[in-house]
Amino acid sequence: MKVQASSPQDNQPSNTTNNTNSTDNTTNQLPSMDEHVMRSMDWDSIMKELELDDDSTPNPLKTEFTTTESAIGPLYAVDSNLPGFPDQIQPSDFDSSDVYPGQNQTSGYAFNSLDSVDNGGFDFIEDLIRVVDCVESDELQLAQVILSRLNQRLRSPTGRPLQRAAFYFKEALGSLLTGSNRNQTRLLSSWTEIVQKIRAVKEFSGISPIPLFSHFTANQAILDSLSSQQSSSPFVHVVDFDIGFGGQYASLMREIAEKSISSGFLRVTAVVAEECAVETRLVKENLTQFAAEMKIRFQIEFVLAKTFEMLSFKAIRFVDGERTVVLISPAIFRRLSGIGDFVNNLRRVSPKVVIFVDGEGWTEIAGAGSFRREFVAALEFYTMVLESLDAAAPPGDLVKKIVEAFVLRPKIAAAVETAADRRNAGEMTWREAFCGAGMRSIQLSQFAVFQAECLLEKAQVRGFHVAKRQEELVLCWHGRALVATSAWRF
Amino acid sequence: MYSAIRSSLPLDGSMGIEYSDGTNLPVDACLVLTTDPKPRLRWTSELHERFVDAVTQLGGPDKATPKTIMRTMGVKGLTLYHLKSHLQKFRQGRQSCKESTENSKDVSCVAESQDTGSSSTSSLRLAAQEQNESYQVTEALRAQMEVQRRLHEQLEVQRRLQLRIEAQGKYLQSILEKACKAIEDQAVAFAGLDAAREELSELAIKVSSGCQGTFDTTKMTVPSLSELAVAIEHKNNCSAESSSTVGSPVSASLMKKRYRGVLGNGERLVMGHEAGWVMPSSSSLG
Repeated sequence: MKVQASSPQDNQPSNTTNNTNSTDNTTNQLPSMDEHVMRSMDWDSIMKELELDDDSTPNPLKTEFTTTESAIGPLYAVDSNLPGFPDQIQPSDFDSSDVYPGQNQTSGYAFNSLDSVDNGGFDFIEDLIRVVDCVESDELQLAQVILSRLNQRLRSPTGRPLQRAAFYFKEALGSLLTGSNRNQTRLLSSWTEIVQKIRAVKEFSGISPIPLFSHFTANQAILDSLSSQQSSSPFVHVVDFDIGFGGQYASLMREIAEKSISSGFLRVTAVVAEECAVETRLVKENLTQFAAEMKIRFQIEFVLAKTFEMLSFKAIRFVDGERTVVLISPAIFRRLSGIGDFVNNLRRVSPKVVIFVDGEGWTEIAGAGSFRREFVAALEFYTMVLESLDAAAPPGDLVKKIVEAFVLRPKIAAAVETAADRRNAGEMTWREAFCGAGMRSIQLSQFAVFQAECLLEKAQVRGFHVAKRQEELVLCWHGRALVATSAWRF
Repeated sequence: MYSAIRSSLPLDGSMGIEYSDGTNLPVDACLVLTTDPKPRLRWTSELHERFVDAVTQLGGPDKATPKTIMRTMGVKGLTLYHLKSHLQKFRQGRQSCKESTENSKDVSCVAESQDTGSSSTSSLRLAAQEQNESYQVTEALRAQMEVQRRLHEQLEVQRRLQLRIEAQGKYLQSILEKACKAIEDQAVAFAGLDAAREELSELAIKVSSGCQGTFDTTKMTVPSLSELAVAIEHKNNCSAESSSTVGSPVSASLMKKRYRGVLGNGERLVMGHEAGWVMPSSSSLG
């Protein structure tokens, strides 16, 4: 989707085309028949084949297989470090490691007929699940063994969506096992990483409607709620739990300025993680400058997530007479041990509107109940996301790789970590918590719906559609919800 | 059903009995009956007008009842049966009329449509038809307005969306530029430090080679901290903020602050004490 004047700084060779059909995969993919077979299989039948659906019990180490690829050294460093400057990534690094020679698959998924060659089947999923089970049952040694085997099998994020997702999930499991994410102060990002992340966010907006849908629907919900009562105070305070790089506020500020919605006042409190200190300064600087250009009186404060965990909303400064808007995403739920408390404290703050943007399939994933189920649900979700990316950009596209590496991969890592933590085991779902605390949903306006549909038209990626699901406005990919936005109040 | 439809307008306002063969017998306020085997009442315009008058007098078709209409009209031979069916038709006709904004239940239009002398039901039907037509026209107009309104709304949405997308893009572009600049500054800082190191090592060599035993301070070209700072500044075209106060310890700390910000906590630049004597203890030069 090229809806924007492209940046002059973009020196990357971008191969994106707009109307890429999903069957346009070229030669560095599997033969097209496989692709076709892949597409015709849905997730459930895959799971059933692997006996990983809820009805079957896990069977350990059913098949043995060897890889023939050991002669080729690892082309992709298997560690948790990021790959470096995009222009240092040679496309050849990613292409030739496709370890699945094409085979004539009549049925397509002969899991038990493995000789020495990978059959392009889903054995890696089996192994992934085994690792998960081992982690759950605390058999970390065994987990490590299987994981190292997987490292040979899934060497780089290439191939079909499922394979790429499996790679990222494998990496996440790896970090989990080595404990490099747990109980350690995470390092601050370097400027190089930050540039890459921003670029990835920018490119993501360019090729997929996912990020813009999230931001614009939330913004419209905010605008609708603010303009519904003309006589209220002009001061608006947004409490944002997932500010990212602050891109959302650009369009919000634009609207506020143009329609003088809050008489040009906007105050933001963002709850951020400590390792984002560098980004935080950058965001503050840029937002302040942007607001000045829009002639908006703007203030932004930051609160550490750790502090919020301890003090809840007392960590945030509220001013009498302001209309409070709260923007939530699953990120904060991930860190808290109880949603119920959060919602109760939220009520005391008397927000005008609470907007929940679920871009992580949280509704499906978090309610799953066990590490394994959550893992599988997350794998499914991100496979869909990758599929949707494939529809927008050709295979091996550099832009896509950047997006996957710097936007999706961290999310996957976080999802796996949360699922493993299972702090919220036995918790009620967010919806139950909201309703239990007496929150009522607000219908999103027709404008928001039109806007979403318009956005999809501009995106020109086939397969997306907008739907209403209960109180949510949902961006769907082939019927599966990718982003669900809803607005609530007490 | 009905025999030939023919009517004539009695000029004196009285109605006449119409026979299908065309003979007309003027009768005073009489009913017109058809002559076919089943005598049916023919609702001529006059009769209808009287009917409508009566109904209006009684407060509208919903309030009026056949009995009261009969009494009010005072037309001999008019039965309840006639009135019941006519009233029903009239009510239905009015209903569809009511739904159209412009066209009201104006009976005149009923009257106007009768000049071909239709019989009761067909005159009413024709009238209803016309009402329907005008109703349909209005409906069509309204639907068109609705479509236009929707189009307009969608155009508005599109326009707003475009503005929002642009705003977001512009923002991301500017933040990207800032981050890139920070990398450049960082590189500059590193380069500056490298340059400083070079200078110092050169100086060290000079000093050690230049002096054999005693120091001749006049000959020493040891630059002060401020001079080094200037040299590096010139090399790297640092920003102007510290240029005016070059040479003072304040500038050093300013620069220190600035670079600490750029580099972030995780990458604190530590320059050791190798050079020793002119450099302050922490990384202040860039």
